Amino acid sequence: MGMSYRRYLNGARIYGCSNCKTHLAAIHTMISRAFNGQHGRAYLFEVVVNVIEGEPVDRVMTTGNHTVRDIYCCKCGETLGWKYIKAYEATQKYKEGKYILERNLLVDVQ
Amino acid sequence: MGPTNGHNGIASKTNGYSKPHVNGSSKSPVLNGVDGLKLKKRDTSIRQVALPGSTLYDDSHVDREEYIRLVIQSLRDVGYIESAATLEAESGYTMETPEVSEFRRCILEADWSNAHAALVRLGATEEDELWDAKFLISQQKYLELLEAGRTTTALQVLRRELARLSTDPDQLHALSSLIMCSNPEDLRQRANWDGASGNSRRQLLLSLQTESMNAFPQVTTAILEVHTDEVWNIAWSHSGNYLASVGRDKTAIIWRVEYDKDPSTRELSPQIILREHMFSVGCVAWSLDDSILLTASENIIKLWNSKTGVCKETLTQHTDVVAALTWLPDNSGFISGGLDRKIIFWDSNGRSVHTWTPCPVRVTDLAVMPDMTRLIVVGMYETSPTVPVGTTTPPEGGPPANAKPSSENRAIVYDLATKEPEMFIPLEGELSSVKVSGDSKYALINRAPASDSEPPSEIHLWDLETERLVKKYVGHKQSRHVIRSCFGGVDGAFIASGSEDGIIYVWHRDSGTLLEALTGHGAGSVNSVAWNPRNERMFASCSDDKTIRIWEAPPSTAAHPNSRIAEYALPELENGKGKGRERWDGYRAGSGSDVGASSIAL
Repeated sequence: MGMSYRRYLNGARIYGCSNCKTHLAAIHTMISRAFNGQHGRAYLFEVVVNVIEGEPVDRVMTTGNHTVRDIYCCKCGETLGWKYIKAYEATQKYKEGKYILERNLLVDVQ
Repeated sequence: MGPTNGHNGIASKTNGYSKPHVNGSSKSPVLNGVDGLKLKKRDTSIRQVALPGSTLYDDSHVDREEYIRLVIQSLRDVGYIESAATLEAESGYTMETPEVSEFRRCILEADWSNAHAALVRLGATEEDELWDAKFLISQQKYLELLEAGRTTTALQVLRRELARLSTDPDQLHALSSLIMCSNPEDLRQRANWDGASGNSRRQLLLSLQTESMNAFPQVTTAILEVHTDEVWNIAWSHSGNYLASVGRDKTAIIWRVEYDKDPSTRELSPQIILREHMFSVGCVAWSLDDSILLTASENIIKLWNSKTGVCKETLTQHTDVVAALTWLPDNSGFISGGLDRKIIFWDSNGRSVHTWTPCPVRVTDLAVMPDMTRLIVVGMYETSPTVPVGTTTPPEGGPPANAKPSSENRAIVYDLATKEPEMFIPLEGELSSVKVSGDSKYALINRAPASDSEPPSEIHLWDLETERLVKKYVGHKQSRHVIRSCFGGVDGAFIASGSEDGIIYVWHRDSGTLLEALTGHGAGSVNSVAWNPRNERMFASCSDDKTIRIWEAPPSTAAHPNSRIAEYALPELENGKGKGRERWDGYRAGSGSDVGASSIAL
């Protein structure tokens, strides 16, 4: 609702949508590079901006069952990754509220 | 004139105030002691005192200016006009424009010969309004002459001024019958008026103020519903006859609004719908002659022929969202500003003349002074994303522990000729709108909190000559959305703003008082408000509810002077004699006097 501008980030390295260059995340909020997405390597981030979240769905991953929401670029609508809503395995709880962005869908922007 | 002070003829004097006010306060004994120097002379003879720092005392946290302004206002409210003026002169914190002071002086000192001219200089341009105000002034003059026993002069005022200004025979009859009063006491009783030495001149000022309030646009006279999604921005053509609206449905619509016609008969229809944009449209501006409409969506600017709806040019030099468009006051072209930090000057055909880059901020709005001296830019710095408090520390490669938000947004004033920054205005939060006053002196800037820890949303009025914040307007809601505000009314006496709670807020510019919170729009934000440039009593608002509303002053009967007061402070008229009588009875507002409406013998 209402008009808002996309947010702009600063930091040593900014990741944007490969399709439209919209700012998504800064390197200093990256938690891990050791994730896999549907298109290969993926990154786990603490904070991601300018995304629209889809409906929550339960998905079985290599680390167990999770409730996630897919995330889309707010400008071009490209699917970029997902957000963890709930992890059913106790060891995976740290991922709740964090975001996965697929490396192949990101570009460096300034 | 020369009323004596401290003497008040009637017992019930001073309408409910605890202390008696007296008229003509500049003729107080104190002043007479300094040989009756006039207010204006005194102003120049008092030296402004320069004090170090900005707090009241060295070790206090009280803002001196804020405190002193409150004192000045209080002094004036209770009637210590001279003390207020002296303090104004010494402190340099002026509350009123010279025009307002002069008008106030004319009324309080009974300088009737100059009062009408002073009234005109206040900028009242509507004939009707002027006539009503002139009538009230002449009425006071007439009553004071009668009170002083100068019946012949009073009769001249009745015939030459009042008869000409009034359209109501009953009213004139009531006034002329007062000549029969046997003595001043009788006159004051029958007119329910407390005399030249009482509170009546102050009451007159109040009535004149109330009158201008009633001309205030507060009623929706039209709802424009064609947009199929949120309406984000609106702009009036310079002729005042067209309104352009843009929004989330990717269209721009040009509406014909006959501002000078009666709401019931005026034409009001969408003339042209411009559909070529691929994304939501957030910016809109008219050329000076209204022949061109500019719109912007994402990084694209389009120039449209406003008559035919044909797109003349599509400009793609911006590389990110274009957030501001404004036509240059000298008609040489226009300026655009974007989140790509570019400010681009274009000629009127859409050829880029100069690109001013990079701007230190991502431009969210800009405005050019009517006198072409300066350009004011507001915008945002990038934010450094922060980790929400309380999250677990990641095992490795986590964010720096003290990643503080660096969202120090800024407003920058540029010299338009040299293109050099002249002044940086430090402002916290997100800045979404800037407007400049018609006299090129003030900038109006919306600021929204960038986080919950910042103060709530405010609109700031900056004096660009003294580089000072002169007023803050609060009450509206703005957090994440682009909300725009504007100056409005005669000489920009009002400040209006949209708000995320769906209400339109209107403040008195000089006092900061909230005058109206207008409801009517549906759910969501009121995104922008725009005052009609030709009709001070009309403005438009646009909302997430997909509509645009046109707001105007209530129909003339309801806009009658004192009608507001009459609504809640007056007993019912015993024998409803119509307008003229109501006007009279308005003097009784708040009086507590039990003199009935029939006190004016017919």
